[in-house]
Amino acid sequence: MKALVIVGHGSHLNEDSSLPVYEHAARIRECFGDEYDEVVECFWKEEPSMRHVLDTVESEEVCVVPAFISEGYFTQQVIPRELGLAGPVTHRGGKTIRYAGPLGTFEGMPEVILERVEDLLRGKEVPPGRTALVLLGHGTDLNKSSGGVIYLNAGRIRERGLYDVVAEGFLDQEPEIGEVVENVEAENVILIPVFIAEGWHTRETIPEDLGLTGEVTVKDTATGEKTIFYGAPVGTHPSMAALIAARARETERETEVVQSAG
Amino acid sequence: MSKAPAKPSTNQSVATASREAFAAWIDEAPEGRVFGQVLIRRDGEGGYSLRHRDDAGVVELDVHEEPREAREISKLTERGEYRPLKSSPNLRRGWELRMKDAHGLAVAMNYLYPAAQVHWHLYREGRLEVTSYRENAARQSGIYKRIQRLSDEGVQNAARACCKDAVCLKKTLWDVDEETPLAMDRGDGEIPCPEPCSVFVSFARRVRLFEREDRRDLDEIGLSPSEKEDLAALVETASAGKVEYAREAEFEEPLNERRLRYRRLTLLPKLRPAKSPKD
Repeated sequence: MKALVIVGHGSHLNEDSSLPVYEHAARIRECFGDEYDEVVECFWKEEPSMRHVLDTVESEEVCVVPAFISEGYFTQQVIPRELGLAGPVTHRGGKTIRYAGPLGTFEGMPEVILERVEDLLRGKEVPPGRTALVLLGHGTDLNKSSGGVIYLNAGRIRERGLYDVVAEGFLDQEPEIGEVVENVEAENVILIPVFIAEGWHTRETIPEDLGLTGEVTVKDTATGEKTIFYGAPVGTHPSMAALIAARARETERETEVVQSAG
Repeated sequence: MSKAPAKPSTNQSVATASREAFAAWIDEAPEGRVFGQVLIRRDGEGGYSLRHRDDAGVVELDVHEEPREAREISKLTERGEYRPLKSSPNLRRGWELRMKDAHGLAVAMNYLYPAAQVHWHLYREGRLEVTSYRENAARQSGIYKRIQRLSDEGVQNAARACCKDAVCLKKTLWDVDEETPLAMDRGDGEIPCPEPCSVFVSFARRVRLFEREDRRDLDEIGLSPSEKEDLAALVETASAGKVEYAREAEFEEPLNERRLRYRRLTLLPKLRPAKSPKD
């Protein structure tokens, strides 16, 4: 038997945080159900905890995919520790457990971002002029890789030449998102939060700090009038389910190679 | 960590064994079993009927046949508040889950009480691994690393405030460390708690911050700034005629139930030195 375990951060305070994990798990059961006997959710701050989830899994073959954007503290330290993982492949209690990297660095991520943009712009009129795509990350001065994933995806999308400008902005590191939106040289700004879930930042701090009134805001800035299109977080997009399933398949392939090479 | 005996030689996973054992436990009780706040009964057609135990005799309930709908049932309290800890005694009423077999039962139970079925089974078999507070604290990092410095007394009071049946229906099996048992009523329920949970870790962090404050910042009558803040918030809200608790795991807020339970243990003796609170 084979199981997919999706790890989310979760929250002690609100239900928004874990919702995308449950939704993606449900979609994977529905669309990729023939690949897995079990699709199981677990969390850092909710139940079942990472600490105990593997005991609830009946399958011998387990693939763990973290529903996290960045490589960093959680994916490198907390998740392996709490799940008791020894590396990319762990054998324990009759189970073979394969551990995937985060979703943000995976090659399929730009597609999900672009689908999010498409959903946002559907049925809306984009005024004439230049269009900038701005990827918004949380970022932190404490961990360089946290912002790296935003640059990685921006770079991959830039290569496709779809927008006049592709820029990056952050909440907790430079360049600060407010300044990026203010100074970017485009009449239309598509702002996509590369976050895993809706929450305090996406619903409150970001709209408040940037003076956004909804999905479309027309605003005067230092570089002229701009129409700002504000999207929902990438992590709640339905296509994330396919991305998680693809990440799991990739991990199975990679670890097969590692195992046979070892 | 206390060593578990070697696993049985069969290839059956512990999850499979616990699913079967749990169903058998229900099957052998014609009147049904209570697990947490859930009453589980055979339905006469090889399936299982689950409902809130206080709804035992209620006829008109919202019926669900899809086991994963148990997640929606367990998500919010009667008043619509988010439940971060599924073993809190605040499961809402008014629903019935009709599961057609033991698989459905196991899926539903894992949403009502995540991992509880497997812990119940391992505990009955005497092979549930228990992790003490100190072992758990030792592996914490980031903002939770500071719980390593929580005193033994702090752990005891935090557990009394956070884990007793009034606020969590699990039976607390873990201790402060191997030599220091928790000195409290560990609970009567069926669901064992083998290790401090993330809600407890977060609460322990808050209590550790109270402890630090105790040493440095006491005023002339021995009260800390946060104790005074909590008292002020209580007077303010009670005088307005309505005390509304903060969210269940919002420990930074003065009117959090577990935080107030901790104050009862540590602040009341300061305010009324002659009487000690009944535990």
